[in-house]
Amino acid sequence: MSALVEVRDLTIAYDSIDRSVLALDGAELTIEAGESLAIVGESGSGKSTLGMAIGRLLPPEARRLNGDLIYEGRSVFAAGDEEVRSLRRDKLGFIFQSPMTALDPTMRVGRQVALAAGGRPEIADIAALLERAELSDPERIMRSFPHQLSGGMAQRVVIAMAIARGQRLVIADEPTASLDASIRDRVMATLSRLRRENSASLAIFSHDLRMVGRHADRIAVMYAGRVVETGPSAHVLRFPAHPYTRALMAGAVDGARRGVRLEPIPGAPPVVTARAENCAFAPRCSARQSLCFERRPETRRVHDRIVACHFAERVLAQHHVGINEPSA
Amino acid sequence: MIAPVVSLSEVWVTYRGGLGRPGIDAVKGASLEISASETLGLVGESGCGKSTLGKVCLGLVRPSLGEMLFCGERFGHLRKRRGQLAVVLQFPEWALNPRIRCGRSVEEPLVVLGAHPAERRRRVQAMLESVGLDGGFAERFPGQLSGGQRQRVAIARALITEPRFIVFDEAVSALDVSVQAQVLNLILDLQTQHGFGALFISHDLAATRYLSRRIAVMREGEIVEIGSRDQFYDRPEHPYSRSLLDADS
Repeated sequence: MSALVEVRDLTIAYDSIDRSVLALDGAELTIEAGESLAIVGESGSGKSTLGMAIGRLLPPEARRLNGDLIYEGRSVFAAGDEEVRSLRRDKLGFIFQSPMTALDPTMRVGRQVALAAGGRPEIADIAALLERAELSDPERIMRSFPHQLSGGMAQRVVIAMAIARGQRLVIADEPTASLDASIRDRVMATLSRLRRENSASLAIFSHDLRMVGRHADRIAVMYAGRVVETGPSAHVLRFPAHPYTRALMAGAVDGARRGVRLEPIPGAPPVVTARAENCAFAPRCSARQSLCFERRPETRRVHDRIVACHFAERVLAQHHVGINEPSA
Repeated sequence: MIAPVVSLSEVWVTYRGGLGRPGIDAVKGASLEISASETLGLVGESGCGKSTLGKVCLGLVRPSLGEMLFCGERFGHLRKRRGQLAVVLQFPEWALNPRIRCGRSVEEPLVVLGAHPAERRRRVQAMLESVGLDGGFAERFPGQLSGGQRQRVAIARALITEPRFIVFDEAVSALDVSVQAQVLNLILDLQTQHGFGALFISHDLAATRYLSRRIAVMREGEIVEIGSRDQFYDRPEHPYSRSLLDADS
């Protein structure tokens, strides 16, 4: 496998009138061709900024201070206007949280899908595309306006549009958060199947750990603008190597065992205003040492992970609290 | 025997249709009881009538058929029930006026009840403390708080009159995983402390299971299963409950 996307030491600040806040503080990540990667973290951890940066879709007040983002060997930030347009149109597919805001309310679904597919597609082609997204009765759906569809159906239309040109990478930002719990899994399954059929990569940005565990090959955990742990999803969820990942799992209600009280992470995530010269998680960490306040943990390889923690080996060896672990 | 805080027997709610259109039965013959210090979970897909049932329990919607009793009595006029009921919604922004300081928002229900100003200030301080916010938050505006802090303020406002019954309608759905855990633990602790009965409406079975002793599953306006929490950790009976559980795990 070769890297499709490489994020190198990317630092992005949002400027407001009185101060600037770092949304990304030296984030490092690679997305391999043909893999599904989940990026998890609390709100404010920088996951949406990272997702949008791949398509250079950041708002004007965002400023790149350092680092680069490489898509298929070319810098996204150095690309010209036409190159960025072609990147967004032909190479990336976007799926957002709410399908209703992604679709044009004034245009029939069939026409929107045709625009996304490009050229002059036959009606039968569009119908086939919708059918691949597991929408029954595609003729009726093509004639409909978005408001006439249910949330799940509308999200399937968005999925169909995101793969219509055989995009190499689909970026899904909380793709199922606005959907009903009972259909979330089916919509995710459709998305995963289509991705495999097209042998495209999928980047899921989410905080739903359980969903992510089932649909992603690898997981990247973000905290305070950095990627703090990356590894195969089953291993990361079961045997976290970063204390933050472990705390996240202990606080997740869907992993709660009967009669066991949840342990929320104490405190709140920090607001980063300058490059952190120590570990940003240290004030909330249960395994912290004085070193954590003195030196910034660089990302390094530990077994099958890439972790940014001085004591990753110790955390990994300590105990295995995982979401799927039966009670002892 | 002490009467349950809320009891519904064979409640139907029909929303009238427009000209020439048939009405919709949002709730079809629902019966349930919620006692003091007990949380009943209510799960189901969107549009199944969960929120309508919540409104019936709050006395905001009159049943078209059937009976709703509050503490063993007929519900009567809403005005009579001031301070006895409360609701916490999905987005705390819906409960807090953005231009009023949080302390004042929490105090308001007491003003309506006509409590003495010194008494009000004391109780607001105590309540903010018990939801884990220090006194300084009273002077802040909702916009200066994080989502989890805002939801705590909304819960403080709901609890300030020491109501007997609270409806949590998707109260943790919009919160982050770690904040969710904080708020769920807060609800558990406050219930032990104040002994209110609660209806926890959610489409998130995991959160509901964590908080409730019993869980009711609703589908297309009907309660298809009511069972103990354990049943929902193991094996629910109704096939629909099973599909909800499978979708979730």
